[in-house]
Amino acid sequence: MSPIETSASTRERRHSLALTVGLALVALNLAVAVLTLFWTPYDPLNASGGRLEAPSLLHWLGTDRLGRDLLTQLMIGARTALLVGTGAVAIGAAIGVSLGILAAFATRLADDVMAATLDILIAFPTLLLAMLVVAASDSASLWTAILALGLAISAIVARLTRILAKRVLRLDYIVASRTSGTSWPGVVFRHVLPNIWPTLSVNFALQFGLAVIAEASLSYLGLGAPPPNASWGRLLQEAQGTVYTAPIGAIAPGIALVALVIGMNLLADGLRDIADPTHGRSR
Amino acid sequence: MTALLTIQGLDIRAGDKPLVSGLSLSIRPGERIGLIGESGSGKSMTAMAATGLLPTSIRVTGSIELDGQQVVGAPDKTMNRLRGAAAAVVFQEPLTALDPLMKIGRQIAEPVRRRLEREGGKVSKDAISREVRDLIDKVALPQPERIINSYPHEVSGGQRQRVAIAMALACRPKLLIADEPTTALDVTTQAEILKLLDQLVRETGMALLFISHDLPVVSQVVERVIVLKNGVAVEEGAVNTVFGNPQHVYTRSLVEAARLFDEALGATGS
Repeated sequence: MSPIETSASTRERRHSLALTVGLALVALNLAVAVLTLFWTPYDPLNASGGRLEAPSLLHWLGTDRLGRDLLTQLMIGARTALLVGTGAVAIGAAIGVSLGILAAFATRLADDVMAATLDILIAFPTLLLAMLVVAASDSASLWTAILALGLAISAIVARLTRILAKRVLRLDYIVASRTSGTSWPGVVFRHVLPNIWPTLSVNFALQFGLAVIAEASLSYLGLGAPPPNASWGRLLQEAQGTVYTAPIGAIAPGIALVALVIGMNLLADGLRDIADPTHGRSR
Repeated sequence: MTALLTIQGLDIRAGDKPLVSGLSLSIRPGERIGLIGESGSGKSMTAMAATGLLPTSIRVTGSIELDGQQVVGAPDKTMNRLRGAAAAVVFQEPLTALDPLMKIGRQIAEPVRRRLEREGGKVSKDAISREVRDLIDKVALPQPERIINSYPHEVSGGQRQRVAIAMALACRPKLLIADEPTTALDVTTQAEILKLLDQLVRETGMALLFISHDLPVVSQVVERVIVLKNGVAVEEGAVNTVFGNPQHVYTRSLVEAARLFDEALGATGS
């Protein structure tokens, strides 16, 4: 085996390992989230034990200040995190990709205006933008948080889509496809979107991670999902006062948050290699 | 017989810089014409203008009639119907002319499907894949099954150009525009692709506009040539007349350069 082949196969193995770990972490989260729809160890809203109990066989992760089971809260938090991540990325992708493609086809002036607007939006901190939207809406709810994060993500996605689409549109195969009579919408759906998808999908996964963290931050500040929706951010906030007496209350949601975000990023990496058949291999 | 492509007084300018000036030419159905000149002489610009695909920043004036339809200033919708049906193009660089993330079978299937829709015939998956197989046979690609399921980076340069030709043929155009189709290929592959183009054009009765800077290549496939220099046609006529007895200084220098090159090649070869 030549050295080049060795390194290529090593790289492939490492990538598939990243994909497996990422997939496992995200799948675990998804499984837990779905499970909470049907069953949780205890009632998430009512006390099921003493206050701030240490982990035991009855309460694997102990209880919180109000005597509620922490594992139950954590499991419902997984549902909230996935919902926010998926919702925010879906909204961000729908608005962002459409705007980005439009900008790529726009006249010079319209394109410049759009690019400048997007840059200003992106320069604005995501969290601040989300807080503004939540504050401006009548009542804080999970959906305002999702919408707010989705809008913030859409600016980033739009700018990325615009640049990627512009680069693809300049390539020879677009002209070649046009000479055989492909219309502009045909070019977008058959050539532009598939060719920018590998890069976009990685970005979506990264944005998913950021949205999950942003939601935790919003909840921590009391602007996220209101009770009874459990959120890792609020669990962290509630554990703040008792972090020395009952550290598990802060450690558990922290680990859950990091695990989901890392899992999503690893999955993104693995997906990229699958989506792009030219990657890592050449004739 | 009316002409398939008639260009009259074509001017192409990028800003203040003239790229093509006062070019006129006409191609009748089935005719094979060569457009030759050095790079930058406006050959490719003329081809792009004929299909209405020049960027909007480039100004085109004059008249281009493709299959009876005025191309200059025509809306995109009209042109889309015309592209493929009236004219198809094979480009110089076969790798970049194919979508890197689409399997070759699907890339050929696209123009096939559009043509079947245009002709109003039955558009079924079977009909399309049958046509794709036919086209792959026609351009003499080996192992059709493998080629259909390959991505462009998985086949060789010569094979990619055959795929590009198959895609152009899939449109069944009345005019095939070949823009330096052999320049990016090695000499052996060049000869094969030329032979294939020549044979296909004869079989299907398409007209051919062959664009090249390479005299020996042009003389193999066309009947009539137009010599372009700095966007102006300096000489026009039958291949043998123009190359055998060049009138213009520029044509003479081109012929001389080709002859010297051949001699140098012969000297090293023997």
